[in-house]
Amino acid sequence: MTSSIVKISNLDKYFGRLHVLKNVSLEVPERQVVCLIGRSGSGKSTLLRCLNFLEEPSHGTIEVDGVRVEGGEKGSRHRQLVHDVRLKTGMVFQEFNLFPHMTVLENVIEGPVIVKGMDRKKAIELGEQNLDSVGMLFKKDEYPMRLSGGQKQRVAIARALTMEPRVMLFDEPTSALDPELIGEVLNVMKKVALEGMTMIVVTHEMGFAREVADRVIVMAEGELIEDATPDDLFKNPKDPRTKALIDRYRSGEN
Amino acid sequence: MNLFAKAESGAPKTQAELLFEAQQRKERHFRANVALTWGVLLLLLVFLFSGPINVDTNFIKENMLFIAGGVGETIRISILSIILATFLALLAALGRLSTFPPIYALSTFYVSLIRGTPLYLQIMFFFLALPQLDIRLPGLWAGVIALGLNYGAYMSEIFRAGLASVGKGQREAAAALGMTPGQTMKRVILPQAMRFAIPPTGNEFIAMTKDSALVSATGFVHELTWRAVKVGRAQFHNLEALIMAAIFYWVMTIILSYVQGVIETRLSKGDR
Repeated sequence: MTSSIVKISNLDKYFGRLHVLKNVSLEVPERQVVCLIGRSGSGKSTLLRCLNFLEEPSHGTIEVDGVRVEGGEKGSRHRQLVHDVRLKTGMVFQEFNLFPHMTVLENVIEGPVIVKGMDRKKAIELGEQNLDSVGMLFKKDEYPMRLSGGQKQRVAIARALTMEPRVMLFDEPTSALDPELIGEVLNVMKKVALEGMTMIVVTHEMGFAREVADRVIVMAEGELIEDATPDDLFKNPKDPRTKALIDRYRSGEN
Repeated sequence: MNLFAKAESGAPKTQAELLFEAQQRKERHFRANVALTWGVLLLLLVFLFSGPINVDTNFIKENMLFIAGGVGETIRISILSIILATFLALLAALGRLSTFPPIYALSTFYVSLIRGTPLYLQIMFFFLALPQLDIRLPGLWAGVIALGLNYGAYMSEIFRAGLASVGKGQREAAAALGMTPGQTMKRVILPQAMRFAIPPTGNEFIAMTKDSALVSATGFVHELTWRAVKVGRAQFHNLEALIMAAIFYWVMTIILSYVQGVIETRLSKGDR
């Protein structure tokens, strides 16, 4: 069995007195595509954001590709470890969060050049390669405001990939898109998955989960309530809350 | 505005098009009337001073160059002060974002103290009060420091709003790429905040050119107002002298407003 590239152990997260993640543990092997589903407020986005410390976990351990970070600590050693984890993870946001004052290409090479100190020429080469693979090379000199939502999200994926991460995190990447633009983004994500990237995807797109994921995890009230292959999960959901989720998806499908 | 463009030329105009045209006619009509009234008011002023109000044209001719010579000094004070003000405003605005209490307190203390006291008093303080502590500043520097401190306090609010206009998603995207807080500020937040802050900073600059007149109170800075008051008093032609200075200020602010308008349209092109 391949070793796990992501290990979450006994993770707790409180917002004030609100307990949003309750002793969550999870391992993800390399090259696996995991979809996190659940109703809003179930803690799935928070779990994802704890992985690269956009949210600092209250307790517990996160390990990404051998870098092990204890949650809830402070100090320069902790900051260094968080930085190391962020270099190993790429993130795609619901609202794209492209830098509006930079062109598409500048957005994509910003991280490699500024953070990793990569040679600019090499970064451009790598960036253009990734823009090409998401089908956005033809817009490389445009500013983000001239792009559609789907195009923005494809650029955001290229930006994350150009950092050459070991794991890609997607936080509801299609939730802010018009329905007709969702397909192009899902197709790019599928392509990234086929190239062997380890992916953790928070999504409401059951179709994508079913088709692309190796594994679907259902969250409710800050806990992982079900963890199965898409086939198993959709055919015989065990928890009544999973069943409700899937029923709702089915009724929307027709 | 081409939402209702005709499918084929020659087709009768739609109701929306007709309404739109009527609206445009109305606006053009309004603007023409405003321009006309401006012209009438200007002519009225010229007429008033060419007959009913007796002005000494000889005095004006003789002192024109002397008063005009203050324009350069006025611009010099304004530019030096706005540079100092921008620098202080940026520091104060960043201080307001700090989570370290002493820095936050320093920033709010500065803004409160400066905004709570008159600009005239501040200028006189630097010029007249500091010598008592054996600190002697030339009039120009007393004026520039006072104006810079004063405008810096007001402008810090503009800069703070500029920094606040950059969404939290931008910080998160930068953090996810592994940028340090310093890199995030320099590469992501400040460039966007500046674009937001430049037009109102232009307004402050225009206001400052006029407030630079207060520096004349030191008696040692020969800018526009000082020169007008000097020759006006000496020859008891205050009316002519002050009107001349007023016209210089007015023309300067009209030019600056125009320049600001150009900058503003250029900036808005790259907008989100």
